[in-house]
Amino acid sequence: MAPSPLPDLAPSFDRPAVLAALQARIRRLERGGATAGEVAPIPLCEAIDRHLPGGGLARAGVHEVMAADPGAAAGFCAMALARTEGTVLWIAAEPDAWPPGLSRFGLSAANLVLVQARRPADALWAMEEALRCPGVAGALLVQAEIDMTAARRLQLAAESGGALGLLLRPDAEAEAGSPADTLRPRGSGQAASVALTRWRVGALAGAGGGRHALGDPRWQLELLRCRGGRPQQWHATWQPAAGELRVEGAEEAEPEQHPARRRVPR
Amino acid sequence: MRRRCCRPPSLLDALPPQPGDLSESRGPAPAGVNSLAMLGHSGASRPDVASGEYPPSVMAAHHGASRADPASAGHSPIVMAGQVPAIHAPANLPWPGQHLPPLAYPAKHAPANIARHRPAPSLPALLAPAAPRRSLALHLPWLAAERRRVAGPWASWEAERQQRRIAAVDATAAAAGISPGQTLADAQAILPELLVEPAEPMADLAWLRRLALWAQTISPLAAPNPPDGLLLDITGVPHLHGGEAALLNKVVRHLAHLGLTVQAAIAGAPAAAAALARLAPGQITPPGAEAEALSPLPLSALRLPPATAAALHRLGLRRVGDVLRQPRGPLARRFGAALTQALDAATGQHPTPIQPLRPPAAFLASREFLEPLITREALDAVLEVLLGQLCRQLAAAGKGARRLLLLGFRVDGTMQALQIGTGLPARDPRHFARLFQPRMEKLEPGFGFERLTLEARFVEDHAAPQNSLPSQGGLAAEARQEALAALLDRLSQRLPVWRLEPRESHIPERAVLKRDAFAPIGAAAWPSMPRPVRLLRRPLALQVTALLPDEPPLQLRHGSRVWRVQRAEGPERIEPEWWRPGPHPPFRDYYRVELTSGARLWVCRSGAVVPGETSRWWLHGRFE
Repeated sequence: MAPSPLPDLAPSFDRPAVLAALQARIRRLERGGATAGEVAPIPLCEAIDRHLPGGGLARAGVHEVMAADPGAAAGFCAMALARTEGTVLWIAAEPDAWPPGLSRFGLSAANLVLVQARRPADALWAMEEALRCPGVAGALLVQAEIDMTAARRLQLAAESGGALGLLLRPDAEAEAGSPADTLRPRGSGQAASVALTRWRVGALAGAGGGRHALGDPRWQLELLRCRGGRPQQWHATWQPAAGELRVEGAEEAEPEQHPARRRVPR
Repeated sequence: MRRRCCRPPSLLDALPPQPGDLSESRGPAPAGVNSLAMLGHSGASRPDVASGEYPPSVMAAHHGASRADPASAGHSPIVMAGQVPAIHAPANLPWPGQHLPPLAYPAKHAPANIARHRPAPSLPALLAPAAPRRSLALHLPWLAAERRRVAGPWASWEAERQQRRIAAVDATAAAAGISPGQTLADAQAILPELLVEPAEPMADLAWLRRLALWAQTISPLAAPNPPDGLLLDITGVPHLHGGEAALLNKVVRHLAHLGLTVQAAIAGAPAAAAALARLAPGQITPPGAEAEALSPLPLSALRLPPATAAALHRLGLRRVGDVLRQPRGPLARRFGAALTQALDAATGQHPTPIQPLRPPAAFLASREFLEPLITREALDAVLEVLLGQLCRQLAAAGKGARRLLLLGFRVDGTMQALQIGTGLPARDPRHFARLFQPRMEKLEPGFGFERLTLEARFVEDHAAPQNSLPSQGGLAAEARQEALAALLDRLSQRLPVWRLEPRESHIPERAVLKRDAFAPIGAAAWPSMPRPVRLLRRPLALQVTALLPDEPPLQLRHGSRVWRVQRAEGPERIEPEWWRPGPHPPFRDYYRVELTSGARLWVCRSGAVVPGETSRWWLHGRFE
């Protein structure tokens, strides 16, 4: 008797169960049979997690974060890395992560290792080694340009190691020394990617407080691409006192109007 | 192959004649015998010689070989040739009883007895008594003066109970009758032009240690013998220099060339050699004859405690021989065990071992090659074998290595070394192999390596990893820790890797301290004020417009870029830390500002606001 391709098939044809089993099989195939797929994803906040496949930022994968505002993007990454609850590597040409500020996201200095890689090749090598290591919970690479092959290698490394990989891609203008710029062309960095998700994180003017109080920071979170999900954007407030992210109001901006929907031909 | 075959006899001839059955073993391939004979006591104390460990004397042979004249350098490799019988046992190596091809022995090297074929050595022959240890002692009588390179009569003084006494003199001052122990006033009365300086005993000792480091070129077992001597274990070394007398002359001549007066002597026991070097320099005492050599020397040769020496002097025992002739029992009862111990150490009955500067590695693996290794593949393969051997040794001892040294001995007598370090003690051969991998290309084989040695330099306790049940992550916590340590090792071989440790300081640049990747980082007590997530390593100079000079900024400008400030929070004044030395920078007033775009920055004004002068503003960090 040949083994059934779908185990646990109920005699009555249970459509949701069959679908779930098929999806699980596809996931296993995509992940090269790694067990890492079963690890719980990293929760961001309830409204965003509902939108993401798997209910959160998936571990054992690489996620791209475009920094519309360097500070806000660093904060977003720090929040995700802190929630991996393990050792985290910060790889950059000039690692400027500063634990006194990061500690408000729950990322303690004891878990943070900084790696300085001035050459892009070194940085990619360090990132790949880190993602492949089972002792690392998360790794962040600050690099402007990553080609498809390198990104694919990082994705495979993350799948085998089970770590959360973040590619923080600063804008060229931010690198040149400008604190922030709202008039930046939004089409940059839209090339096809192998990352599981691509985000753009920008800052929003604060809502509360007065002229002499800043209040809690507000971010514009744009999910530009998502494997197995749909693009979306949120306005969120980071509440350091509670240590959580809160999405404001209902989701706005229909996905169709978003530039990420336009596939860039390659 | 032939090169090897032709060497053993010449070495054996160069060796001092050995007593008993060792002469029985003089044959073309007495590998085991040769090594045991050369090993001396280290071979006796460590039975696993055959596993490829080499004794210090062999290393000495290497060190010496690179400096010896070409003829003796050519002989050196066979000393190692005997170390790994497993490799030297192939059938094509001529064993006793086989007829040797005459070609293999050039006429000038062929000793007469090589033609006599003897039966293979029996086990007792292999366990022949070890070669006696030989020690070379150097005594530098004017060390303190020659170290400072002073000319003319010179003396150093030290304060002793409100009195200044002479501590050391140079040759001129000694000739004028000044000796250590005199009061400074007496010495200056004898020789008014005497140059006096305070004594620096620690500097003298440090210098002696440096000299001992140099002496490692003669033998790796070199030790300083304070206050003014060096001790070297030269077992197995002299034949490289053409005998003990030649070695002695060479060392003395070399140090004289450096401007040092040195007295040297060779004996079996280190204490005897040291005594002879001080009081009867130039002597070479054959093994077992230490007692006769020391007999005519005064008792001060033994370096006895002053009270004992004075008591013996009162009894009329002025020379070492006088004391040696006394019955031991009464001597021990009267003067304690210290005297008999000193006597035994000097006569070689119970020689005190030399404490070398750099002890020989306790964990090492090494391989000899009949054909020198040149290719990378061969080197990699051998490295794998050596790592396996070394890691098994480490595992058996419950240790882990922190630093490994790979030594490649080339055919031309030079040596190359590769070193790797790990953050935590480790003994996984694959991990070490990955660390060595990128460095292997730095080895330059030239005509090839004939010996590779792997040493564990720093060793720490390393408990065997417990195979616990896998936790939810799929791997046990210990395994994950080990994987992380291995990763950090690999990364730090190539890139700067660090952790940041909290430091109690409000100055942003001083709030964290760079530590290495393996440092334990404690919990932090950060300031309660909000701090940026990214701190600029170099603050950016800004031009700032404000309503009033000491008001929060309204507009920031950097170059041609202008940003409007929507809100500002502050100021937070951070004063310099007055308790630290040095000129202090002015205080800073930090503001958290939010631009119209929403970006949040940390800007500061340094120094007080002076009317009529523009304040200096800096961008120092970014908030989330």
